[in-house]
Amino acid sequence: MAAVIALAVAGLLVLAMSGMFMGMAKSFTATVDKSPAHVMILPPQAEGLFGNNSGQPRRLIPTIYQHPDVLEVQPLNGSWAFWSNFPKDGQPAKGDGVQVVVVDPVKGAVTLPTDFSDEVIAALQQPFTVVVDRSSLNKLGVKVGDKAKMNGRTVTVGAVVDGYPSMFNSQVFVSYQTGKLIYVVDEGQRVGPLVVKIKDPSKAKQVADELNAMSHGQYKAWTRDQLSKSSQKSMLKEGGISMMIGFAVLVGIFIGIVITWQTLQGAIMANIKEFASLRALGVSMGALRLIIMELSFWVGVAGLTMTVFLTSLVAFAAHSAAVPMDFPLFIVIPVTIGLMLIAILSGLFSLGVLKKSQPADLLR
Amino acid sequence: MSQTHNGKMALSATGLGKSYKIGKVKQAVLKGVDFSAYHGQVTMVMGPSGSGKSTLIAALSGLMKPDEGEVIALGENLWKKKRGKIDKFRLDHCGFIFQGFNLFPALNATQQVEQVLKYQKVSHSEAHRRAVEVLEAVSLGHRLKQKPSELSGGEKQRVAIARALSKMPSLIFADEPTSALDSVSGQVVIKLLHQAAKERGAAVVVVTHDPRLEAYADRVIHMEDGKILSDNMVSEPPVLA
Ligand SMILES: Nc1ncnc2c1ncn2[C@@H]1O[C@H](COP(=O)(O)OP(=O)(O)OP(=O)(O)O)[C@@H](O)[C@H]1O
Ligand SMILES: [Mg+2]
Repeated sequence: MAAVIALAVAGLLVLAMSGMFMGMAKSFTATVDKSPAHVMILPPQAEGLFGNNSGQPRRLIPTIYQHPDVLEVQPLNGSWAFWSNFPKDGQPAKGDGVQVVVVDPVKGAVTLPTDFSDEVIAALQQPFTVVVDRSSLNKLGVKVGDKAKMNGRTVTVGAVVDGYPSMFNSQVFVSYQTGKLIYVVDEGQRVGPLVVKIKDPSKAKQVADELNAMSHGQYKAWTRDQLSKSSQKSMLKEGGISMMIGFAVLVGIFIGIVITWQTLQGAIMANIKEFASLRALGVSMGALRLIIMELSFWVGVAGLTMTVFLTSLVAFAAHSAAVPMDFPLFIVIPVTIGLMLIAILSGLFSLGVLKKSQPADLLR
Repeated sequence: MSQTHNGKMALSATGLGKSYKIGKVKQAVLKGVDFSAYHGQVTMVMGPSGSGKSTLIAALSGLMKPDEGEVIALGENLWKKKRGKIDKFRLDHCGFIFQGFNLFPALNATQQVEQVLKYQKVSHSEAHRRAVEVLEAVSLGHRLKQKPSELSGGEKQRVAIARALSKMPSLIFADEPTSALDSVSGQVVIKLLHQAAKERGAAVVVVTHDPRLEAYADRVIHMEDGKILSDNMVSEPPVLA
């Protein structure tokens, strides 16, 4: 039983950690994934939507329009702003930098995320009204309907959206109009990433390739999927995140093997006389080994079941706390195999103590 | 084994010697012991602590190789066999009862018995039938589903006996089977062993300190300091084969 728990904890550790990071990685690209744009234009050396502070020249926009399939090109506006709340009795004052994302509050606009509801769009249409992610409410010290200050101007939180949590700065959505009022819209010669709508969405890949062919190295066109994957990758590459996942995996495997092995061994030692009596009655060593391996297999199965149970509890808790979690198969499958392997390996390691089952020792 | 085998030689050992090294000192525990046991008889081995009784049993039953001498068990030269074959011999022919009961805490009485039968390639339904039968024979018919923690010492020892008897062994070895039990439970246990000898024709070798058990012995052997001091045939002398 203790071995089952050890195994489950190891599995949980690995799954929860990586699940959380995958969730963050995914939320990181939520803006990309939920954009109605089919093709996105970034500076040539960029690997993701973020971290290209220098931007690209505004004069690119007309060159994109030259492609016959392009319907609409818009720059993604957004910049950093300073946020502070109006603390109510006893509430702590919060001051924080936020990432402002400027959208067009018109249904079907190329900058408007596809999952914004009519209510959210209506809220955004009000001047000085902003929309934040539900998970950011606490961090920003506000509720829906509350007022707050952004870059010194008073704004109202008009609505919340789900699924745009952020690891670093909270995201705040504003309309173009509001964005101008709080000084976050830059109308200079440099613009952020360009989002492009094309006539036939199924030709996104082809259009992106054609745009790249005519770019002369001035920009790089991505389809939405390509960019999303690449952003996740570039995020995992930096910031020690992959190191932390790796660390969690190592710790998980270590805990798993050592504890499972030790407890299995302890269980065998506790029954060593019983095993010896079976030996005396003529049960061969091989048959006893088989019993142990069978036992560790079932420990593995039980540990897995428990991991699933514990992880879904954690995922549920995370969901209610609006912490993003994601369990892609490419993590779940290796963890499953890994846990079974740990159980089997622990069983193999434990076989050694069976040698201590000397039936002659029972005769005293 | 049937009644007709009674009185035939089951086990014969000659010149058994065994010594243990403790540090540099070599201590002889068995000093040229000759021993025999017959089908249908309870042979009791008595003697002071440290006289080598358990060591003798271990050598006779194939649990521990003696330094010298040979053991002919059921007509086969035991220590000439390979280890796997000795295991097989014990599986087929030997039953053991130890002072400790050595039952798996997680298994109930029936499962304890079935577990061993499984390795004798007895089918599951047959193993179950035999387990219940033999547990009933040791008057544990009402304790079939109990685990060791729910059984008294005497009941546990009877489960251990049932486990040994269910294999239908022709050689039964018991080392101090009653010393952890009160005298009533002890009587029950020795009666069961006696019964196994008489009804099944098994050769039963019992090591004990308890003089009250002598009443059930057909033969009493006294050991001291690695040698056999006396060998008394209590009941009718066996007809030598
Ligand atoms: N594994 C061992 N290593 C070293 N010495 C041993 C070992 N086993 C037994 N001995 C020694 O051999 C001697 C005989 O042991 P054995 O167990 O045969 O005695 P016994 O007659 O069964 O005694 P008791 O009545 O106390 O059970 C003892 O002196 C003991 O110290
Ligand atoms: Mg002894």
